[in-house]
Amino acid sequence: MKFRKHGGDGGGKVEVNMAAMIDVVFQLLIFFMLTLKILAPEGDFNINMPLGAVGTPDPTQTPPMDLKVTLQANEDGTLNQLFFGGRGLGNDFPACFERLNFEIAQVAGSGQATGEDIEVEIKPDYNLHYRYIVRAISACRGRMVGNKMITYIEKIKFAPIERPGG
Amino acid sequence: MRIKSAKPTIVEADMTPMIDMTFQLIAFFMIVTNFEQTQADERIKLPTDRLARPPLQARETEVVLNIGFLRNSDGSKADPNAYIFYGGDPIPVLDYGPRLKREYELSKRQYGEEKAKDITVVIRADSDVPTGLVQELIKMGQESNFSKFALKAKSGEDGAE
Repeated sequence: MKFRKHGGDGGGKVEVNMAAMIDVVFQLLIFFMLTLKILAPEGDFNINMPLGAVGTPDPTQTPPMDLKVTLQANEDGTLNQLFFGGRGLGNDFPACFERLNFEIAQVAGSGQATGEDIEVEIKPDYNLHYRYIVRAISACRGRMVGNKMITYIEKIKFAPIERPGG
Repeated sequence: MRIKSAKPTIVEADMTPMIDMTFQLIAFFMIVTNFEQTQADERIKLPTDRLARPPLQARETEVVLNIGFLRNSDGSKADPNAYIFYGGDPIPVLDYGPRLKREYELSKRQYGEEKAKDITVVIRADSDVPTGLVQELIKMGQESNFSKFALKAKSGEDGAE
């Protein structure tokens, strides 16, 4: 039997055609480049809101210590006055929220109640800009020390809606 | 004198470094591409806060609502009223109740009642949106049987927008 000799001089170099692979790789590269969206990371704050009027409290359960933060707005939606309880903390944004954070820290650290027993109710004016609410929630939630978050209060809720003129 | 016969030579460029680089670029783009935030609408200018951190455990299911303003190319408001951007359509916030109800019904059919109640309604609102509208949206969500709500903010130094 006669065997056919491959190649002229024995161990020939087998060349793989790379063109197809390079084509696909470039297409993938272009796809990923075009679909890339550079977005800042986002975080969120959980929030609650009672439905309608406040119901009768359950006598068997200890009610959480209620703190009230009120945000009054100017006509253009900017902050007019920030209140903690009945006390005004000013409207010098963002320093007033630093003061709120300090007050909340005092309450949370006073030992009157643990962070889980305290609930903050935020009562904003209808037309107040959302940025102030985020700042108020943040001031009540805690503070950052370096890269670590210290939580003061977990439970934060909105007061029932107060529509303008009723 | 002997003259060497000049054979035609084929110059083969070494493609290996280029292919290496290309693969590295693909790997980079694959890692940095974020397919998860596809529900985020770029028209919304979220407020920034230091405490806003992405949740440690990603939620299985959530309903994302983007509330913002129609803006001109220079960023100024084209319309003072806030809208919910649902796909490409701006919908007045107070008209969104029936859609939320439909969303809940669909989720109930898809995941069951137990899981549908666990769905978080994530509100991405523009910095200038009136808070009353955010509250109205939460109320509409509660009326549609949703019970968990979260407000979004951009992570970063306070006030950097």
